[in-house]
Amino acid sequence: MEWIAGLLFLSVILLLLAGFPVAFTLGGTALIFAGIGVAAGVFNEALLTGLPNRVFGIMSNETLIAVPLFVFMGVTLERARIAEELLDTLSRLFGRLGGGLGISVTLVGMLLAASTGIVGATVVTMGLLSLPTMLKRGYSPAVSAGTICASGTLGQIIPPSIILVMLGDVMTSAYQQAQLSMGIFSPQTVSVGDLFAGALVPGLMLVLLYVLYIVVVAIVKPETMPAQHREADDRVSLGQVLRALLPPLALVFAVLGSILTGRATPTEAAGVGGMGALLLALLRGQLDYARLEDIVRATLRISSMVFLILIGASIFSLVFRGYGGDDAVHAVLEGLPGGVFGAVLVVMFVMFLLGFVLDFIEITFVVVPIVGPVLLAMGLDPVWLGVMIAVNLQTSFLTPPFGFALFYLRGVAPPEVPTGAIYRGVMPFVGIQLLALILLALFPELVTWLPDKIYGS
Amino acid sequence: MHTASRIDRFSRLLGHAAAWLTLVMVVVTFGVVVLRYAFDLGFIWLQESVTWMHAAVFMLGAAYTLQMNEHVRVDVFYREFGPRRRALVDLAGVILFLMPMTAFLAWAAWDFVAASWSLREASRESGGLPYPMIPLMKSILVVMPLTLALQGAAIALRAIAVLGGSGADSRTDPT
Repeated sequence: MEWIAGLLFLSVILLLLAGFPVAFTLGGTALIFAGIGVAAGVFNEALLTGLPNRVFGIMSNETLIAVPLFVFMGVTLERARIAEELLDTLSRLFGRLGGGLGISVTLVGMLLAASTGIVGATVVTMGLLSLPTMLKRGYSPAVSAGTICASGTLGQIIPPSIILVMLGDVMTSAYQQAQLSMGIFSPQTVSVGDLFAGALVPGLMLVLLYVLYIVVVAIVKPETMPAQHREADDRVSLGQVLRALLPPLALVFAVLGSILTGRATPTEAAGVGGMGALLLALLRGQLDYARLEDIVRATLRISSMVFLILIGASIFSLVFRGYGGDDAVHAVLEGLPGGVFGAVLVVMFVMFLLGFVLDFIEITFVVVPIVGPVLLAMGLDPVWLGVMIAVNLQTSFLTPPFGFALFYLRGVAPPEVPTGAIYRGVMPFVGIQLLALILLALFPELVTWLPDKIYGS
Repeated sequence: MHTASRIDRFSRLLGHAAAWLTLVMVVVTFGVVVLRYAFDLGFIWLQESVTWMHAAVFMLGAAYTLQMNEHVRVDVFYREFGPRRRALVDLAGVILFLMPMTAFLAWAAWDFVAASWSLREASRESGGLPYPMIPLMKSILVVMPLTLALQGAAIALRAIAVLGGSGADSRTDPT
């Protein structure tokens, strides 16, 4: 009955394209398949009775409580205009250098874009925030668009991002499953903290590569990113820089530091981060009742969106597994020529293609639980695999003509930025991403070094 | 339209009320950390209350999120559709996907929830949440699909109005 599982997967992808919300399309399609299967006597309906327990498992999953708390922190920082002030100050600081504004945008993306974990939202925020300024200062549309798309998606893979929390949770169970299937009954564990630690060096490496690229272009083609002439009101004092930079930086460091040093669980750190963000907003006079109301409602909507997808995805994987889909994927991946390398390459390529249709959250909850255990059972490092998936998906979101980030930037870009310019501008960044993927594949230590250093191995 | 607007108001009220729990979650989690590190105190029921609120937030907020059109769509094509096409997708989606899924979730959860009530289930941890907090939390498993189905009905009613030529948009006006 494996062909039915394949048909289910294809049907879901096609039906999703109609545009009904993902959570219900996933769950609904799977239930239709299960219903027909039960009627035809080819699907064991007892499998479905475990569903309430699974959904209750999602409700009481302690790792994932970090998600709404991090969302709360991110939304608060966004509504308190911290990112805007940061960009403004940084661009005045670096503005007189060629490419200075581009570098500022990259740094702001690194620090703050992680807030929601939805590719569209972060690119839209970054686009609204920085595109008008970049164009006004004479940056070429292509360069501006490329920088914004790349730095808007960058936040997804730099801890603390909610994507890494979700990926960490999925990897935890995939790793356990893989070890059980190998006959290891006292399995090693992998945590969200491990994934945070593993993603840090590759994330910073990407930032560095982006900045290097911007500097090179600023030297070779200075007309595409002109330096700003100094104006009287553009002066920025050290005090202003510290005021804009220090609080959000301190917050991110405190949150990340307490997780990496093992002093707090991601959930605890996220709670403290949320409180810190509230305090920051309050101190800046950016917090009143109306805004607080806005923050809690936005947090609820984003959390609900994320967790309903998880519920839909768990119905899907229940039915997919019921039709033997897992075993089929297992068999296909094991039978590939080239062993582990071949399997990883194929999985990465398929995920890259799926990234044109599905967002990070869906791929994490739908695809990773299917392929994760198989790949990990081949002996791969779970943290390395998680980071590779994250960077790979980020690349997919940037790749013309289907990349998510490009669509969303198109939506907020003024007409004088032609779509062709967005595509042209983003291509060098896609090149950088591919380079990063190759580097991570050749030197897995880039990922594993920091977690080993912190937690020992 | 009257019915759809009433459903909207119900979902909104529920969502707006549940939303404040996110703030309480942040404060309580912060409190748990402070108690642990400053006073070496830990209360299991306090930690479990965060889990409880977390579940209530995303489950009870699901219908409101649907109303606000914030459940993510793959909108490569949907975005380009006109109001009639969108109404058609929404109507079909509600009938084919949302209704079966919510009906099944509520039906399947019923025994699960009833068992919890009849066992007068309390937290398995000593010092955890007392009865009836656990059965109450499990009851959300039935409440969530019902509220979602109700909101789905509102969307379907609007979509039918659009297709019949008397409505402007199947998605509600968020105001």
